[in-house]
Amino acid sequence: MRFHFDIKKFFVYFFLILGALIMIFPFYWMIVNSLKTAQDMTAYPPTWVPSNWFNFDNYIEAFNKAPFGIYFINSVIVTISCVIITTFTTILGAFAFSRLKFKGRDLIFSLMLGLMMVPFEMLVITNYTTVAKLGLIDTLAVLILPFTSSIFYTYILRNFFLSIPDSLYYSARIDGASNWKYLWRIMVPIAKPSLMTITLLNAITCWNSFFWTLLVINNDVNRTLPYGLYAFMTEGGSDTKLMMAAATFTVLPMIILFLFARKYIVNGVARGGLKG
Amino acid sequence: MQIKIDHLTKKFPDTTAVDDFTMEFESGKLTALLGPSGCGKSTMLNMLAGILPATDGHIYFDDDDVTDMPPQKRGVGLVFQNYALYPHMTVLENICFPLEIQKVNKAERIEKAKEMAKLVHVDQYLDRKPKELSGGQQQRVAIARALIKTPRLLLLDEPLSNLDARLRIEMREEIRRIQQETKVTTIFVTHDQEEAMSISDSIVLMKDGILMQVDKPQALYDDPNHTFVASFLGNPPINNLEGIINDAGDFELKDHSATIKLNEKKGIKGEEVILGIRPEAITIGPDFNTKAEILERYTMGKEELANIKIGSAELRVYISVDHDCKKGDVIDLVLRNKGVFLFDKASGKRL
Amino acid sequence: MAEAVLKSKKRSSSGIFNTKWEPLIYLAPFLIGVIIFTLYPFFNIILISFKEGYRQMTGAFQSFGFDNYVHIFTDPYFINALKNTAMYVGFVVPISTALSLFFANLLNQKIKGIGIFQTAFFLPMVTSVTAIGLVWKLMFNDRIGVINAMLGLFGVERIEWLLDPAMNIWALIIYGIWNMMPFTIIILLSGLQNIDPLYYTAAKVDGASSRKQFFRITVPLLAPTIGLTCIINMISASKVFGELFPLFSGRPGTAYNLFTMVYYIYYEFNVARHLGYAAAASIILFIIVFVFTMIQLYVQRRWRYY
Repeated sequence: MRFHFDIKKFFVYFFLILGALIMIFPFYWMIVNSLKTAQDMTAYPPTWVPSNWFNFDNYIEAFNKAPFGIYFINSVIVTISCVIITTFTTILGAFAFSRLKFKGRDLIFSLMLGLMMVPFEMLVITNYTTVAKLGLIDTLAVLILPFTSSIFYTYILRNFFLSIPDSLYYSARIDGASNWKYLWRIMVPIAKPSLMTITLLNAITCWNSFFWTLLVINNDVNRTLPYGLYAFMTEGGSDTKLMMAAATFTVLPMIILFLFARKYIVNGVARGGLKG
Repeated sequence: MQIKIDHLTKKFPDTTAVDDFTMEFESGKLTALLGPSGCGKSTMLNMLAGILPATDGHIYFDDDDVTDMPPQKRGVGLVFQNYALYPHMTVLENICFPLEIQKVNKAERIEKAKEMAKLVHVDQYLDRKPKELSGGQQQRVAIARALIKTPRLLLLDEPLSNLDARLRIEMREEIRRIQQETKVTTIFVTHDQEEAMSISDSIVLMKDGILMQVDKPQALYDDPNHTFVASFLGNPPINNLEGIINDAGDFELKDHSATIKLNEKKGIKGEEVILGIRPEAITIGPDFNTKAEILERYTMGKEELANIKIGSAELRVYISVDHDCKKGDVIDLVLRNKGVFLFDKASGKRL
Repeated sequence: MAEAVLKSKKRSSSGIFNTKWEPLIYLAPFLIGVIIFTLYPFFNIILISFKEGYRQMTGAFQSFGFDNYVHIFTDPYFINALKNTAMYVGFVVPISTALSLFFANLLNQKIKGIGIFQTAFFLPMVTSVTAIGLVWKLMFNDRIGVINAMLGLFGVERIEWLLDPAMNIWALIIYGIWNMMPFTIIILLSGLQNIDPLYYTAAKVDGASSRKQFFRITVPLLAPTIGLTCIINMISASKVFGELFPLFSGRPGTAYNLFTMVYYIYYEFNVARHLGYAAAASIILFIIVFVFTMIQLYVQRRWRYY
């Protein structure tokens, strides 16, 4: 019995380690290649480690060839603005759909749920025309504007708001708190974990956003990291080690975010699923 | 503050939760709204609080008509069944909240909150979060939060139902004490007759949205005006026997299997009635008229109970320890004057 | 106590709060965004899909009818896109789900260091498909790529993953499986953790082996979750697009052989500038997603044990 148990444990570890290695290998490979020298790159079979772990030349060169600093700042601006605005509209919308009573509420909400399955890819043609008519093509604003309202996050938050007992609301109202005060003083603090999750998932989506950016951004100074990276590949030739340095730079902020907030992100995905 | 309600009615799409209530709540007293679940007592409480609008009728606080007044202007404190403490705030912040809304300055509201915390005996837990408190402590905090704005009326919705049996007795005495110290007019909702009997100054008994009887607890027990009132109060419950009044003016069981001599004749005959006999309203003694067989005798704590059979009817009664009758014996019974009621079968009203 | 109303009819004059306009104030910021950028474009694209020769900025068009649809269904590139997308979905979803089920089960064991393993398995979820796609491009490289080097150890000859049009889709599928696993593992793992341990205790008392426990308890109880993730994954796999850019330098495969649904929309809209065709293709994409969603709703309703 005892012996059988150990065999089982051995297999669990064996497959877990194997699986984990495959899953993180691309990240390892990216970092390793970003540190390799031109000579390292030509070796076949490829070398598993760079000849010098502290060779940051590729990073310096990538930064010299393309304004990755600006891309980074653009990404930060777009992500933060998007997250702040979306969270705000989401909180207000979720409150209206869960706590306030008005004619047609359920009808509007059902309509919203129906719209949730509309793929964004389908909307880009019209949205492009809309922002073009507003004269916003090739500005950072256009990367934020179409994403200020999220039906998905509003739906998630509304469900959480509904789980807060009615009696808290009545209690606060009897004490004279307005809806506004109740929302920000009671509901929002209670919903903090849910809001954290929404914010993080939204930040990840924003940071990695590519399709829309590809359509509406041309100018070098308005590129965000994923698009800047792609442009660097097509415009800057194919020096792989430079590309790996730039890719590392693009991916790193999200990896750090993930390591610090794994619990919230994983819980969020487990509860609501990612935006399809 | 005196509360007067006048033809108050609340209709929901499929039921009438409160049906044409007219009554008064005495100032400075503790009143219980008692009734089985679904009788409309919580609806009544919520209308008094202003959470639910009335369909019809009026509510007066002293001379103000508050029927259409929003809850925050009524000056009521409400304690919810689940306490409704704000989970992210400490005890002190919870108690302060009503004053924070009223924009009372911070030092003043903290001072007031500490005073309230002392009144309800939670002053040693001020920095804790609600979930770090026991049910009884949470209840105390909820009461403090309701009292801090010195309400004209304190409303408690099933305040004890979420507590375990031992805490319940402790807390009901606490509610009594706090009410007597503050002298605030208090109304509380309960479905537990013992709870209502033990602490309230008066009881409003409801059934299916209808006001059955309002009286002092003991009066309600001793002098019920309806078979429902008699049945709802008392543990073990009253024995209800169905039958008719015979020509001699005595009670005869429906199937004529036995007759019970009544001490007090009502001057009626042939009517279908319900005879209510409280378990303690029977004495064993020479009557020669009403015979009963002892089916079972048992002791519950210090009480001696017996199941007896009169004709075809079974009753549960107290039997004095002095009588060493045992299972199978046939005894003679006498009804006492107190605790025996005759109700009209059709209407349930007391005769 | 369901219908509580705190507002009184007689108090409509008391400022901005507690008026019948109040809900609108809360709703407006959200609704404005939805109306402009989701609701309106949704209906507009349906219209555009029927307009032949539609001009983006002027809105002018030549005729109204099914021409665009007729065109795309006779366009070999669109048929190719449908085939490729179907093949991508058909391989990526089942394989990644099966692998995810296997690893989710391992990650559900109570063993040391499980947190580290979970981090490793979930990490790809947060990273940009464009950035990590570049790494896969390097890994798929036929001359210096690590995948061919590994396969070489088993005697497999050099595969031109990214150069040989016949191999292109397999590279995309492998990358897709890797990409989809973290999300699927998380959902399945949370489904596993929701199974009451009592069932396992009961099964153990009855003497069921761990294999038997897996197939007689875990799989049936997890079936609704598995079904659900499959459909969510089918929807997201139908929209495969971003992965193509890093792998094939922005082209859909080496020889324009790897069009996908979304790439076709992108291509007709942004490169060929045939907005009507792009719109019609969008509608077809929507219909596919719609059908999957309906199946999902049906499954969710039918398959709820708890």
